[in-house]
Amino acid sequence: MNASPITTWEGAEAYFTFADSPTAMMVILALAVAATVGAVVASVLHENHTYIDYK
Amino acid sequence: MEQTAPTLAELQTLIEMTGTINMEVFYWWCTGLMVIIHAGFLAYEMGASRLKNALASGVKNILAFAFIIPTFFFFGWWIYLAMYNGFTPDYEAAAAGLPWSTNMGPNLADNASGIFWGAFVLFAATTASIFSGAVIERIRMSSFLILAIILGSVVWILGASWGWHPTGWLTVEWGFHDFGAAGAVHMVAGFFALGVTINLGARLGRFAPDGTPIEIKGHSMPMTIIGLMLIIVGFFGFLGGCIIYAGSAQWTTIFGTPVTLSAVSFNTLMAFSGGIIGAYFVTRQPFWMMSGALAGIFSAAPGLDLYYPPLAFLLGITGGVVAPLADKFITNKFKIDDAVGAFAVHGVGGLIGIIGLGIFSGFPNVIEGAPAISFMGQLKSAGVMALLGFVPGFGLSYVMAKMNFLRVPPKAEEMGLDIVEVPLQAYPESVPAYSSEIPATKVTATASA
Repeated sequence: MNASPITTWEGAEAYFTFADSPTAMMVILALAVAATVGAVVASVLHENHTYIDYK
Repeated sequence: MEQTAPTLAELQTLIEMTGTINMEVFYWWCTGLMVIIHAGFLAYEMGASRLKNALASGVKNILAFAFIIPTFFFFGWWIYLAMYNGFTPDYEAAAAGLPWSTNMGPNLADNASGIFWGAFVLFAATTASIFSGAVIERIRMSSFLILAIILGSVVWILGASWGWHPTGWLTVEWGFHDFGAAGAVHMVAGFFALGVTINLGARLGRFAPDGTPIEIKGHSMPMTIIGLMLIIVGFFGFLGGCIIYAGSAQWTTIFGTPVTLSAVSFNTLMAFSGGIIGAYFVTRQPFWMMSGALAGIFSAAPGLDLYYPPLAFLLGITGGVVAPLADKFITNKFKIDDAVGAFAVHGVGGLIGIIGLGIFSGFPNVIEGAPAISFMGQLKSAGVMALLGFVPGFGLSYVMAKMNFLRVPPKAEEMGLDIVEVPLQAYPESVPAYSSEIPATKVTATASA
């Protein structure tokens, strides 16, 4: 997979992976948001399960 | 080989690039030092927790830091750039802070965005850590995380955009000046913590049936005190991050007024010292001496760039005296269990700082049309910061409490959150931390972990 937005460093500005592909950036961003939200949701579920023994 | 003298244009480019790289280096190390604040908060909160909760408090603190970073990337930085007018966003000014902007990643044409974002992330994480200590030993981890994200990536940064920004409306309209973010960071976080602790309630056993406070001692006072000292070390990075590095020109505050690191050095150390002495005078306790050091710095923070150093010292003493008394007052009078005195140290300390600069004011602003620093400007701005922290903290935690989502079950609290949530023991080979009432399933899980 070619993730580089540049073919030369001469005159390069934003050079991070997929900087020239808004779609790819959006997909990666959405996955990162989902992972963050998912971790909080997982924490809620973990606690709900854990507290069963302590109700 | 013939050597040719560099042209003026080449020299100009060299000077500009040197300035740019020096700017990056400066904020890089400020950010690194600020990480020490979190090492301090980690030790401080774990030490202030009873043995049965030490690890859970640590996990909570670490997770707050971890969740602030991505959420501040997703929307926190944008809020800062967009909301300086109040509640009307400036979409154009904030475009560079959108998470899909080409400024929000490695970019050879932008040496500033990442390094400023990083420094602000650490300020954000500091607000979450301030709040974290107040609610130890009984808050649900997930509800804490949600509240920490709201505080660290929304609420405080809105306050920063209003009153800790080159053109924030508090400065433009009222001449507000707050060099060290006593308002946006400390008051907002302290008042947010106060709002949450009201709805969260006290730890079991914190008050006798007749309302008499019963002190709950943490398991390691030395760990707490060393943690507090680490926070002080980290605050030198924090305060360095409050200064704008302008390359070949004089340093400025975030409001554009000129400042020197020498000024901040004088006043930070004098206020730090005053805070310790003031707290020693009224408590004689090492916990409050170090907390007083923090309160002392916050009590002078808005004018660390302006004060005559002995005045910073006196303001530090004031913070060091008032913080433990304020904590005692809210504990005795309102039965609020703020486990580490976060509201008193940060909320009250920050309030003293902002009002203090209002008393010793008169300095001109440089933002076009902004009035000079004044008592009323500082007073009104302090009110805004207090409400900005308290209202969302109280409101959100009130809803969570009504949903029975804010606090752990009483039996889990009695048992200790380490064995219930983590589940591990902090010191498995030394002091037994748990009673024999632990459910068999949990004992097995701990043994196999």
